[in-house]
Amino acid sequence: MGHDTPPFKRILIANRGEIACRVIDTCRRLGVETVAVHHLSERDARFVRLADTSAEITGDTPVAAYLDADQIIATARETGAEAIHPGYGFLSENSNFARAVEAAGLVFIGPAPDTIDLMGDKIRSRQFAEKNGVPVAPSVTGGEDIDAFVEKAASIGFPLLIKASAGGGGKGMSIVEGQQDLLTRARTARSEAERYFGDPTIYAERYIERPRHIEVQVLGDGTGKVLHLYERECSVQRRFQKIIEEAPAGHLDPALRDEICAAAVRLSEAVYYRNAGTVEFILAPDGTFYFLEMNTRLQVEHPVTEMVTGLDLVALQLDIAAGRGLSLDQSEITLTGHALECRVCAEVPEQDFMPATGRILHLDPPAGDNIRFENGLREGTDVTLDFDSMLAKLVVAAADRPAAIDAAKQALERTVLLGVETNLNYLARILSHPAFRDDPLHTGFVAEHEAALAEPDLSPHEAARVLMAAALTFREFRTLAFDAPEPYASIGGWRN
Amino acid sequence: MKLKLRLNGTPHEMDIAALKPDLELRIDGRSHALRETGGIGALRRARIDGEDIAYHQARSGNRAFLHLGGRNWIVEFVDPRDAAREKVQGSGDIRAPMPGVVVSVEKQPGDPVTAGDTILTIESMKLQTNLTAERDGVLAEILKSEGDVFEKGAIVARLQEEEDSDA
Repeated sequence: MGHDTPPFKRILIANRGEIACRVIDTCRRLGVETVAVHHLSERDARFVRLADTSAEITGDTPVAAYLDADQIIATARETGAEAIHPGYGFLSENSNFARAVEAAGLVFIGPAPDTIDLMGDKIRSRQFAEKNGVPVAPSVTGGEDIDAFVEKAASIGFPLLIKASAGGGGKGMSIVEGQQDLLTRARTARSEAERYFGDPTIYAERYIERPRHIEVQVLGDGTGKVLHLYERECSVQRRFQKIIEEAPAGHLDPALRDEICAAAVRLSEAVYYRNAGTVEFILAPDGTFYFLEMNTRLQVEHPVTEMVTGLDLVALQLDIAAGRGLSLDQSEITLTGHALECRVCAEVPEQDFMPATGRILHLDPPAGDNIRFENGLREGTDVTLDFDSMLAKLVVAAADRPAAIDAAKQALERTVLLGVETNLNYLARILSHPAFRDDPLHTGFVAEHEAALAEPDLSPHEAARVLMAAALTFREFRTLAFDAPEPYASIGGWRN
Repeated sequence: MKLKLRLNGTPHEMDIAALKPDLELRIDGRSHALRETGGIGALRRARIDGEDIAYHQARSGNRAFLHLGGRNWIVEFVDPRDAAREKVQGSGDIRAPMPGVVVSVEKQPGDPVTAGDTILTIESMKLQTNLTAERDGVLAEILKSEGDVFEKGAIVARLQEEEDSDA
């Protein structure tokens, strides 16, 4: 922004798939050369072709290759890269990697390593947030002195969630609606904790019904200057992973939005945050919100923020990493319209979102000014279990939320992706559900509407249409239907 | 002989009633007319019951992938030989619903199992899934051990054949 020379001459992208393509896209625009790293199994991948050069990295598994910090740093040096962009996942939030990059005389396009350490530690980051006036969910741990525990727990307020400190999986977990049940439930939880986990320590926190996942995009230059790019809502999740995100959040009071964004800025300023980052919060229906965690990297769902602010987050990351700081001011960051992101995954929603494999046989994504189809696919690309099941992100913007929902639904319906089972139909059903449009979302949305979101029954007419179109692709059918000698035509039916 | 197809897990039967002047098909007992009207590459056109439709298609093995009417479909061609085999063996086979790796084996051959019991836990793309017995019975064999990888549809364990008893 406003610079005549590129922030770097050449960078290495320590990632793959759609995010590598995304970073390359900005680099090309800025005149920054790119080095990709790929595992042998992906030598023909789209990101490898888009990069100026690509180097093969090796490992026991493709993922292991991307987690091999030494190998990636050595590749960066050999290929003359000045900086490393980690993308998301893999080494992006690994402080030792960030330190090693710096020790090798390269620039890590990310935060200071100590920031990664602080924010990566659940307990320390919570304490840090609390100390800096960012609300954290009140909780109490104990159980040895059951009366003391009960007294402290009651002061948090009801409903309360009580669970075994050591546990998971619902064992020893209960929701306590009021004071009258607290002591009994705490005793039960303690004995269950002892029985199942061999540790009687129990934990109570405020139970939030219908929680929303709201996160704030921030940018910091490392000097204490921090800007926010407003919030995203990522409440629609399956298997604890986001599948639909949007910016800004729907049905959110503007004063509350300001408060949440201010809290995110306060936290980021306190840590002298450098890089693009995301502060995640849980928002309760009563308007109270609590710090969840901070992600110190570019987020999967960053494009929705880009579409409503008009900013290029990767370009800003590069400027900050190159020491150019932030030339923007908060007043220059404005929201226009509404954007939605749908994560297109290779999976079977009808079978508990089980991952699917296959080969991309045909791809014809929707196109348009307000549509981004972020992907790393080509026809012939194998969809394997080596990596995450996300195939692409369909990002759509429009003037307001209802229009964005309609546009996203249309774009999903226009997405032709053949060769592997996907959640495309399922995503369209979510967008078509009245509750998605009209009510505040919450993280239990998918579970709450499970029945309504199920594949609807087909009419015989509809089924017949699909079956006939499908039959035309099968050789067995074509032989019988078109190659059959004349007598068969008069006899009808099939003969072996 | 009828062609067997599966759509959204539901089996359908298709039969050719007439080849001329247009193809006449019987699907699940109803009569339909079909004519191919053209297409390039993955994009095809057909006239179905008097209605012109355009769709995208690709085929992989016994599966047809379609994009038709704004939705994606997968239609499976059921080989009559496979169908016959399935019928004989009943539901004693425990098949992998997706490719993956065995995380743990919970039962041993000879163990009695109740429908719903976990036989093996598998992992696929960081997600763990329990493979369970579809019916009560006795475990005959486990064909995969911890750490083994397998493809979708692979038989990972087998129950003993059900005894026909009148009890």
